Amino acid sequence: MKTDLGEFVDELRRDFRVVGPRRKRGEHVFGDIHSPEDLDLEYVTTILPPKKLFLPPAEILMSFNRSGEAITAKVDTQKLLIFGIHSCDLNGLLLLDQVFDRDYPYARYVERRRNSIIVAMACLNIGETCFCESMGTGPEPRTGYDILLTDLGDRFLAEAGTAEGSRLTEMMEGHDAERSDLELKKKLLSEAKMKFKKRIDTDGLAEIFEKNLDSPLWKKLGDKDLACAQCVMSCPTCFCLDIRDQWAKAPSETVRCVEWDACFLLEFAEVALGGNFRKNRGARLRQFMGHNLSWGGAAQYGPVNGQHKCVGCGRCIRVCPVRIDITEVAKEIRGS
Amino acid sequence: MDPYLPSIAEIVNVKRQSNDTRTYELRFLSDKRQREFRAAPGQFVMISVPGIGEAPFSLSSASEKSDCFDTTIRKVGNLTGILDRCGVGARIGVRGPYGKGWPVEEAKGLDVLVVAGGIGLAPLRPVIKTVQSNRAEYGSMEILYGARTPADEIFADEYEEWKQIKDTVLSLTVDSVPSGFTWPHRIGVVTGLFDDMKTSAEDSIAMTCGPEIMMRFVVRGLLARNFRRERIYVSLERRMKCGMGHCGHCQIGPKFACRDGPVFKYSDLGGLPDLTL
Repeated sequence: MKTDLGEFVDELRRDFRVVGPRRKRGEHVFGDIHSPEDLDLEYVTTILPPKKLFLPPAEILMSFNRSGEAITAKVDTQKLLIFGIHSCDLNGLLLLDQVFDRDYPYARYVERRRNSIIVAMACLNIGETCFCESMGTGPEPRTGYDILLTDLGDRFLAEAGTAEGSRLTEMMEGHDAERSDLELKKKLLSEAKMKFKKRIDTDGLAEIFEKNLDSPLWKKLGDKDLACAQCVMSCPTCFCLDIRDQWAKAPSETVRCVEWDACFLLEFAEVALGGNFRKNRGARLRQFMGHNLSWGGAAQYGPVNGQHKCVGCGRCIRVCPVRIDITEVAKEIRGS
Repeated sequence: MDPYLPSIAEIVNVKRQSNDTRTYELRFLSDKRQREFRAAPGQFVMISVPGIGEAPFSLSSASEKSDCFDTTIRKVGNLTGILDRCGVGARIGVRGPYGKGWPVEEAKGLDVLVVAGGIGLAPLRPVIKTVQSNRAEYGSMEILYGARTPADEIFADEYEEWKQIKDTVLSLTVDSVPSGFTWPHRIGVVTGLFDDMKTSAEDSIAMTCGPEIMMRFVVRGLLARNFRRERIYVSLERRMKCGMGHCGHCQIGPKFACRDGPVFKYSDLGGLPDLTL
């Protein structure tokens, strides 16, 4: 951590809840930054994506009063600043915006997003499972940030993406960037791009997928798959939710909750009288892969605005206990 | 504004349809909410009971009914079990209406064929009522309805009235007839009624709702009789937790049954996974 950035983080903490990558048992998580030392910007990826800050894994939606009227559970409106988010995760948030901020805006998500400031990092730490470049989502974010930082070695380059970002950069110590700084950034990014070991060829992938719905690949992978749903839980763009009630003897303690759900789970598509449209694991795996590689994020055929649901963060590959690799699946489906 | 917040509605009437199915007449406690509630035929609402849960149910009342609305519910699980025990005066939560309904506009000037199985007649009743109240705007109407047994038929007390609608045919069938029942109609699956169907493929539109396996054979039977794929509409059942395109449960490939359906044009369902149609 360069010292002047530490002071900047301290400054930010006066006005914001600052969350950023910090170490946890040999890995990294997005956690509260209480002092600049908590922040570890050298990270590759985190266990969970920052989605959890806007769409908590579980929360109460509403409670009920004695007459059965529902009362919306309050949303914490403290201003949140995410420090050091990489391009893949930022693109994940932009995709979730398309899902939750449209015809029926999901107020809880939208309010949290509107109360957030994004300080992104151009990603120079390409990991073993990363493939954002091939998905068009990194390693440098194009949009969606208030400030974009690039680690130039002995100093950070800060670029403002919004008026608020511009205001905040004025709190930073330093001098105006020079052409050489921008050139160094460009050089570092092109060096980083050489480090990618995985990629997905997205050209025509949506259509190829559609033609291969009955491929024997799904049965083969389904037999291997454990349906543990860790891939879904660690995905920055998986948005499926379960909504269920918790009954309590006292009506005032009865609540309706929302929590993450996963298409890999058997009950996910079950309807009344035990009907289930995705009873076997192969069909459920095809759903996950299809949504990520073919169907786009928001109920629209093919990539939305050229953007696939998958942002290439590589978490699903990291967590899979049976080594199912989405980049390999994409290759196999193209070959079949 | 929290789109998940249900409005409270009161049950103003309960009508027994069969052993396990009842029609609930509901009215919002808020006059404003009731006044502004407009649902197209085939749309659904999310009904909930605090502490028990929430589920989607089709509306079964005519869309022009404005002082209250109906939903016809079969007792199959927790929530519907509780609803089954609810009487007049009970209060429940309602959100909606949601989804895309039946093509009642497109159907104008065309012969209307309605094919329903079991509780699948409930979301089609608003179509029948729409044709009835705007009779001159539609061609002939033919209703083919199949139930498990004569005792499982729903809206049975309305059949005489439906038959009286000008230029309308109603044909019934059941899977089986338990002893003690007299049954003057056909026995067998609903597609068996196609043999005596009056509606021809030309200038007609078909709307079907029932178990997906039934609709599979209905669609095939209609295609074999030269009905056009673009003029066959099906209403699909999927798990739904939100009704608003958030929760992801009702996805059929790229489509969301709650937003893009539940009523789909058959020709729009080509190349989708997890369908038995």
